[in-house]
Amino acid sequence: MTEPIAIRHGFSAGALALGYRLLVVVAMCAALALASDAFLTESNVINVLRQASLLFLIASGLTLVILTAGLDLSVAANLGMSACLAASVLKSTGSPLLGMLAGIGSGLAIGLANGLLVTALRIPPFIATYGMLWVLHGLSYYYMAGGTIYGFPPGFREIGSGYLFGVPVPIYLMFLFFVIGWLFTARTTYGQEIYAIGANPAAARLSGIPVKRRLVLVYAVSGGMAGLAALVYLARLNSAEADIGESLLLPAIAACLIGGASLFGGVGTISGTLIGALILTLVLNGMNLLQVNANWQPFVTGVIVLIGVWVDMVTRKRAEDKS
Amino acid sequence: MKSYLLVSAAVLATLGASGARADGEKIAVFTKNNTNPFFQTVRLGADSAAKQMNATVTHFVPTKPDSIPEQMSQIEDVIVKKPESIVFVPVDYKAMVPGVEKMNKGGIPVVNIVDRSQGGKFVAFVGADDYTLGLATARYLFKAMGAKGNVVIIEGVRGSLTSSDRVRGFQQALKEFSNVKLLASQPGNYQRLQALQVMENLMQSFPRIDGVLAANDAMALGALEALDAAKRKALATGINGTKEAIDAIKEGRMLASGDYSGFLQGCIGTMIAIRNLRKQSTPAEFLLPAVVVDKSNYRPYDIAAESRSCPKWDDAVKG
Repeated sequence: MTEPIAIRHGFSAGALALGYRLLVVVAMCAALALASDAFLTESNVINVLRQASLLFLIASGLTLVILTAGLDLSVAANLGMSACLAASVLKSTGSPLLGMLAGIGSGLAIGLANGLLVTALRIPPFIATYGMLWVLHGLSYYYMAGGTIYGFPPGFREIGSGYLFGVPVPIYLMFLFFVIGWLFTARTTYGQEIYAIGANPAAARLSGIPVKRRLVLVYAVSGGMAGLAALVYLARLNSAEADIGESLLLPAIAACLIGGASLFGGVGTISGTLIGALILTLVLNGMNLLQVNANWQPFVTGVIVLIGVWVDMVTRKRAEDKS
Repeated sequence: MKSYLLVSAAVLATLGASGARADGEKIAVFTKNNTNPFFQTVRLGADSAAKQMNATVTHFVPTKPDSIPEQMSQIEDVIVKKPESIVFVPVDYKAMVPGVEKMNKGGIPVVNIVDRSQGGKFVAFVGADDYTLGLATARYLFKAMGAKGNVVIIEGVRGSLTSSDRVRGFQQALKEFSNVKLLASQPGNYQRLQALQVMENLMQSFPRIDGVLAANDAMALGALEALDAAKRKALATGINGTKEAIDAIKEGRMLASGDYSGFLQGCIGTMIAIRNLRKQSTPAEFLLPAVVVDKSNYRPYDIAAESRSCPKWDDAVKG
């Protein structure tokens, strides 16, 4: 009985939370524009969006998992592993198509494995994907043996460094997957079922939602997005090494949390995660432009996460009190 | 186990009798991680030295890169196995001191290579001085820029010994070239992606960047990707002399790389460990000269480290 009410509140409080976040982005942009002439230029706007795209691609898949009250800690290690596999396929076949298939295929397969660990073996998501993180790191290190694979076909590199009508290709990818993600979560029954599973798995099961299949789906999507992000990484940097995923896990989780996703499930949006990725990217961009030592970036990120979550708790509480 | 004891007893007996050479010494080599290609070259250098001198090497590498507790437990395991000597790269030059003391207590002679440990007793230290390397690389870049222009520095992990020493070398060179202007110095954490993003951001503020000093090769290559994508040009240098950097130097994309010669450090560290066991003379400290690898001298580096072999001891000492 309480379930529909919870969802209704999730939406209204969610709209409010999104509004706050947009305000934060606008305020950050206004402050940076005042402080630096270089900030509000066409080329820097494109620059920030391009930098945010990689983070958004990883975080968008992760958002779906978090919506189900799960977590995919292997998402960045998956990116690293998939990048190494795709790189060696690209290098040995010279075919962009095969390379892309390898990257996305590997990402999907790892995601699927996570989904099965969580559903078939009933390992809690945190533990299952944490174990997967280690397994993937181990495999990547073993596979790469301290080496680097570099120099990919120009055709392949277009998806990372190419332009279409003056706009970098990764930005198109970001908006494409934003629209798909938004339609999927907000406009399909799949999306509503995912929110319902996160809000109350028992109730979801009783109302006939195939919980296990939906869970496998979200982990597979999260893995697939990591595979796609791996391709963008490779195409932008033209190089793969075993440790590339390591510095991306915490920012990906931060983008979801700053975007308003709750680790308890059922709350969060793709739009929020997009804003979260933008805020994180603006922090580094702003520090570099203003000559603030970017070693403060982790500190600032942490403060933003804490403030964001606290504001959400307060607004949600207020919305509940009103009704 | 028994046969192993017998063999070591035999080795000891031979040593006692002749006081000179023996073969088949067991050397344990500790490196920081399996991810950085640099340590792979250190291990290959150690392997090559052992092969040349007829000893055997066992490698100990934390599975989690640079893990202090893992290296500590590997030390404890190794002490029990009693190798004749240890060649040691501390994952952290301060935090691993207790580990070194354990090896000292176990009576195993230790040669410290790459990062100088803050404490403990060592047969010798073998390293390339990061400060000198940074200085030589930066001087090389500034000369190539015609002793004038704008540069940016991309630092490694703040607080890491290697990065702060390299950056100190960069800054010393800046003092010597008064017409070279430092626009910004930002951390790239030794990560290619972060260096790319930092460079992209810096290009927004600075319409003219003539030179990039990066604290390692991966970051220099990341910065070059950013420059290429923006169709801008700048001379860029890295540090480590990795194969990837050498290829970029060959193509003319990258200007130069300061060679940290992991391979030679592995060679010489292991040679000293073995020579010490054979009661041959060893230096207490061996600092490799700074070499800036550029288009004119890349050839010796342009082969896979797997097929390189260590110089003979006398040639190595002559430099």
